[in-house]
Formats: sequence, structure tokens, C-alpha cells
Amino acid sequence: MSRSYLFIPGDVPRMLQNLDVFDADAVIIDFEDSVADHNKDEARQLTAAFLKRYTFHRPKLYIRINSTDDLAHCKKDLASIKDLPIAGIVFPKMNVERLKILESLWAKPIDILGILETPDVFFEVLSLAKNPHVKGFLLGAEDLTKALNIDRSQDGKELLFARSQMIFAAASTNIEAIDTPFTDVLNEAGLIEDIKQATALGCTAKASIHPNHVAFINNAFTPSQEAIKASKRIIAKSEQTQSMRFSLDGKMIDKPVIERARKLLKRAKDYGVL
Amino acid sequence: MKTIVVGSLESSDCLITLQPNENTEINIESTVFAMYGEQIQKVLTDTLKAHNIENIHVLCQDKGALDYTIEARLITAIKRFKEAKDES
Amino acid sequence: MKKYTSLDALLEALPLKDGMRLSFHHHLRNGDGIINPILTKIDALGYKDIHLSPSAIFPSYTSIETLLKKEKVASITTNYLNGPVANYLALHGSETCLKMQTHGGRARAIIEGENSIDIAFIAAPTVDKTGAASGLYGPSACGSLGYAMEDVAHAKLKIFVTDHFVDAIENPQIHHQHIDYLLILDSIGDARGIVSGTTTITRDPIGVSIARRAAQLIEDLDIIKPGFSFQSGAGGVSLRVTDYIKAYMQRNAIKAKFFSGGITKYHVEMLEMGLVEKLYDVQCFDLEAIKSLKRNATHHAISAHDYANPNNPRRIIKDLDVVILGATEIDLDFNVNVTTDSFNTIIGGSGGHSDTASDAFVSIIVTPLLKARTSVIKTRVNTITTLGKHVDCLVTERGIAINPRRKDLIAQLKNSRLDIVSIDTLMQRATAYTGHPKETTHKGKKIGVVEDRDGTIIDTLHAKE
Repeated sequence: MSRSYLFIPGDVPRMLQNLDVFDADAVIIDFEDSVADHNKDEARQLTAAFLKRYTFHRPKLYIRINSTDDLAHCKKDLASIKDLPIAGIVFPKMNVERLKILESLWAKPIDILGILETPDVFFEVLSLAKNPHVKGFLLGAEDLTKALNIDRSQDGKELLFARSQMIFAAASTNIEAIDTPFTDVLNEAGLIEDIKQATALGCTAKASIHPNHVAFINNAFTPSQEAIKASKRIIAKSEQTQSMRFSLDGKMIDKPVIERARKLLKRAKDYGVL
Repeated sequence: MKTIVVGSLESSDCLITLQPNENTEINIESTVFAMYGEQIQKVLTDTLKAHNIENIHVLCQDKGALDYTIEARLITAIKRFKEAKDES
Repeated sequence: MKKYTSLDALLEALPLKDGMRLSFHHHLRNGDGIINPILTKIDALGYKDIHLSPSAIFPSYTSIETLLKKEKVASITTNYLNGPVANYLALHGSETCLKMQTHGGRARAIIEGENSIDIAFIAAPTVDKTGAASGLYGPSACGSLGYAMEDVAHAKLKIFVTDHFVDAIENPQIHHQHIDYLLILDSIGDARGIVSGTTTITRDPIGVSIARRAAQLIEDLDIIKPGFSFQSGAGGVSLRVTDYIKAYMQRNAIKAKFFSGGITKYHVEMLEMGLVEKLYDVQCFDLEAIKSLKRNATHHAISAHDYANPNNPRRIIKDLDVVILGATEIDLDFNVNVTTDSFNTIIGGSGGHSDTASDAFVSIIVTPLLKARTSVIKTRVNTITTLGKHVDCLVTERGIAINPRRKDLIAQLKNSRLDIVSIDTLMQRATAYTGHPKETTHKGKKIGVVEDRDGTIIDTLHAKE
């Protein structure tokens, strides 16, 4: 599980060699939008040289390849990453059709986080969620709102359907639902509000395009001390009563609640707040 | 034949410029030349050798790039150089 | 008080002589408009063997370089210098030429007569008819005059230079009995150079990352309690640490006793939000700090003596809980250099670095471990500005090291989730990226010394090769 996914450009050494100091749980090295067309070869070469020399336990590493619409770059990307120690690829403009093309191009299967950024994909997310290589969705609100010809608002109501659709599909096969990056880099209050939307609806993580956003995201996706305390009490009572069905503070506790408490404690442990 | 330029003059990066030449020549300008000049020379020489490149002029303008960056920038430059050569 | 409106006439009246010691303060920073005209005239009058004691030397103080070139300068004693004068000394300085002091050490040396000033030229943004002065008003307002106060009290002759002469100052910072001569000029400074406007909270992601770790370290050390005291410089990373501490104080409803040192708008904001009782201001870094001195009774301008004189038992920094400081180099014994770079270029100096590190309960160095291919950790620093025994913690983007002398802090941090390792390990982490640098310790002839606050010589300065 990762809380934060940080995008960094694949052709900037200063960012690349510091990818482990921003406290992101996962880093997405970008070959797509943040790399100019004539620099794609530089990004591939630099990233490969870097990852061959340095290994990381944390963060988890992904590479965002170019979309299958840009077939020449997509093929070169796939060739250059095939021996790199990465957790998977981030696949832009994913839909059923492009995923088929991708699967026809790769030498061996690789885990995919698919970016949902075209309107059509929201009507086939469930089938994508069932693909064994798709390990998560990442909402791409910038391109999506552009395609819909609308502006992004502070309360994010225009994203409600997309977020919910992504979350429901992801939950159905227990894969990641990663919220879109917040692009107003200096607006901390807006970022915090945007993260609240994501956590309230059920996103499992959030992406960011600026390292300074990572701490806010990690913080919001880490179980609070109150939640940890409540979960500990549930587990304790369950163990003490040897029961999966009991009442605590006047509330009925049953198996799903106990499971959820257990998961929360595991996350708390993973994130070092237990 | 065209001059090939790869990389940048940003901190931690280097700018590699390749030009055909009568022999193999390497020029290094580096913000950390006193400490790492010899190492940079070695990376450039080894990389040229590994790619069987001779008779070339390499200018490396270095802003504190680590070895992997210098090597990657030069390899990209060599690849572009070879492509340009094949086309001409 | 004798009043002049012409520099020539004033200099004619002064008992100038060869071998005299002249002092200036640096509160007008790069906008200072008195040092150059005064030294240029004194040079033209033919005086030599001049000892100079400016509290700091900024790049615009080019007349000092001219005097050095003409071999009219016998010595320079200062706390901080960079720019042309620094570069000239690093190439052509002589063994007896340069003494680098600390802010507290300079106050001590002046008060105790070690640094006996013949004439102090004091840029005074406002002077009234009685001869009282203030830094708060006038076109060249700079706020606190902290670094000038010992010169005012102890120089044999005190010359106030102003461009704002008024009937009366309500609350003068300097009282009339100190003044010997007053020189009124059209302008004593350029406001744009006085408040540089460079004091902003860093947004650089690596700086932010370091600041976050430093703030967590302070939290884990359990120092942020009601009544605690804190100092951070005006560096972007230090200010980011302050910002994190502010958030922590707000969350936990904690009020600090005082912040000290150079004051910025960020400190003022915390004062006015009721997060801190008092500001002890030895130097204003921006316009907001100057304005605050006028309107906030709990914002106090203090002298270098009150701030940091090691022989003053009531010095403010003695009660500091934490100080956040920077480093150009740090070595395996935690010695810190902020005076020179690795090639003997003089880039600054202690200022209050050694003073506050020595006195604060915990001194924390915040710096990137790696700047491009250069590691901040060296086997041995090129110049010692602050002795390692006074430096407690090093916080970098790739880990934190605690001085092994501070067993108490190490014990306190036993359960911390921060990545705390030995400084040797941190150095190895750096080398894993940079590779091993070729040793470049070619030192030229001696050009001066670094004096700690108590007068001990702790290192020598060398010319560039």
C-alpha cells in the first residue's frame, strides 16, 4: 500500500537522484508529459543509468511511459524499461482498446497503474479492474476536464462521478484508487481541501506533481491516533470475548468492522505510527 | 555533419557536445574539476571506448553531475551521433 | 555635540592620525552610504596604517578594497565579509591582516579594551537636536542598531552620520550623552540595499524536506514547551523550520518566551499572533521587523553585548533552548565552517554562529548533505568557524547525526522514527553518490585568524593558491 505517488521528470538529474528524500511512498518517473519530445531519449537513457546504479527499498518506483497513441515512443519506452527494477508502469489514457495494444507490445507482462483521463474509460473501468495486470487506477483530472471542456473547481464537484466510478471499480477487485494530483502548487489550503475530498470518497492514495505536497498527502492517508485507539479497542474486545459479534460503547461490532480495524492497524504499523 | 548537444547546464547535470574530429579529444569544464576532473575524464574515455567511438571531439560542461549522468548524457549523444551519421 | 554638514569640514576637525582604529556598523548592509565616502576622503588625506573594525563587510564596501590595494590598511577586524574585499584578501592578504570575530566576541573585545576604537562612524537613520539617535525612522531606517551599541559606548570619539535630522525623537535607541560630532548628509544609504528582501521561507523541495526533519527532531526532543526560546536565522530553510514550529505551537496552544537574533516578518507575525512573548532583535532583516519595533512594546532592540557577549552573565542567548544554523562544511568532529569555501574563498563568517551554538541548549545545523556533487561533510573542514563541541545535531535530507558528546539527546531520541545515524555513516551515504573527491588541501600563505567569542584563536585563514 502506498499513500503518496510523486511524479518526477525522467530527464532531470537533480530530481531523479533525490527521488528518495521527499518521503513519497511511491515515485513515478515520467517519460510522458513532463519530457519534451526531443528529450525522450535523454530521459530513457538517464533513468536507466540511474536505476542500474542505485537501488531503493523505498519508495516504490514506477515509470510513466508514453501512451500507445504515440506508438514509436511507447515501444522505445517499453524496450528501455524491461530490465529495470521497477514495481510497474503508469499507463496514460488507459482504456480497453489501448490496454490490448499495450499487451501486444510488451515482451513480458508488467504491473500497470492505469491513468483514467478520457471520458470513455469511465464506462469500462469495471472490466479494466478485472485485468490481472492492472493493479490500480490513477485519476487524471487535468486531461479529463479538458476533454469535458470544464474548469476544475475548489470543491471538486465536477470530479465526483469520475472519482466515485474509479473508487467503486477499484474496490470491486481490491486494487488502488489513486486520486488526481492537485496542480495549484502553492495553494496549501486548496491542497488540504482537495485531499479531504479524496479521503472522504474512498481513494486509497493521491498523486502529486510537487514534492512539497507529499507530506500533506501522507499525513491525510495515515490513520489518526483516535482511529488507531478505537481499532485497538475493537481488536482487544474481540480477542478477549473470543467473539466476532459483540457490542462496544453501544455500537454493534461484527466481522467486517473487525476486519476493517485489523487493516487499519496494519496500515498504521506500515506507516510507523503504531 | 551537425554538432550533437545533449544534457543541460542545470545544477547536477552536464552538457555534452560532440563533433567529428581528426582524432579523439576530450575537453572538460567543471564546477568540481579540482576534486573530480580525473574521474569525469575516466567516465568519458571508458564510455567512448565501450561504444567504439574514435575521432571525435567531446566537450563536457559539467555542473556537478554524478557519474551516471555523465555516462547517460554521453551515450545519448553517441546514439544521436550514430543516427545522424547513418542518415548522411 | 559639534554639527557639520560637510564631510571635509568634519574630517578636518577630527584628530585623525596614522595607525588609528576606525569602526563602522553594518546595519545598512549593502545599502550603506557612509563607509565609502568616509574612507575615500581619509585615503585622499594621506593617512596610513589604518585599523578597520567594521562589524561586517558587504560587497558594496569597495573603498576598503581600494585602501587595501594602496597598502593603507594595517588590519581588519570583522565578523562577516564577502564580495570584493573578501576576494582581495584571499589573494593578497598578509599574515597580520584579518581577524574574524563573532558578534558576541566583538562586543566583548570592544568593552574589554582589546579592540580599542579611536573613532566610530555611526550611520544613524535619525538624530535629534539633543544628539539622541534612532534606527527606526528616516529614509534609511534599518530598525535595531544592535551591532553599533558597543562602538557608541566605548569608542574614544563617536561621530553620528545622519540624513534625517529632527527636533526630537520620542524613544531614542541611543541617548544624547554619547555623541561627540554630528555629520548631516543628503543621504546615508540606499533603502533597497538595506532591507534585501531575500528573507523568504524556502520552497525548494530538498530544503523543505530538511526543515521537516529538523522540526520533527525538535518535537522528538520535547523542547517545544510553554516558555521555550528559539532562534533561527533568516535562511530559507531555517525559516521553514520556524514555520513548522509555528504550526506545532498553534496545534498545541504553546507560547514561547522569546525569539532572538535577526528578526523577520515571520517572527513578527508570531509575536502578533501571541505565540511568543518577546522578540530580542539585534538586527532587522526586513521592513516588517522595522515597523514592528515601532508598534510592538514586546519587540525589543538589543545590543550585541546584551545579545551575546560571553562575559555578560545576562546575555540573552544564554537562555536559548534551540538555535537553527547553517553550514558550508561540517566535519566528522562536528566542526562547522561558514567562513570559507573549500578553496579558501572567504564567503561569510561567524556572525552569531559560534555564539549561539555555544550557548543554546541544543544547536541544530540544517544543510543539504549533497549540493550537486559536493558533500557538506568533510574529513576536516577548511576553516573552523564553530568548534564541534558546540554543535549538537546535523539535519540533512539523507539523515540526521547527533554529536556523540550529547548522550542526553541520544537517549531522548531512542524511540524517534527519524533516520538517526552516525556522522561517519552520513558521510558514507554522500560518498556513495559523489565518489571519493581528490584531496585539494593546498593552502597558501596565512592571511588571518578566526577568533572565538572568548578571544581564543581557533583557526587560521589562508590565501587561495
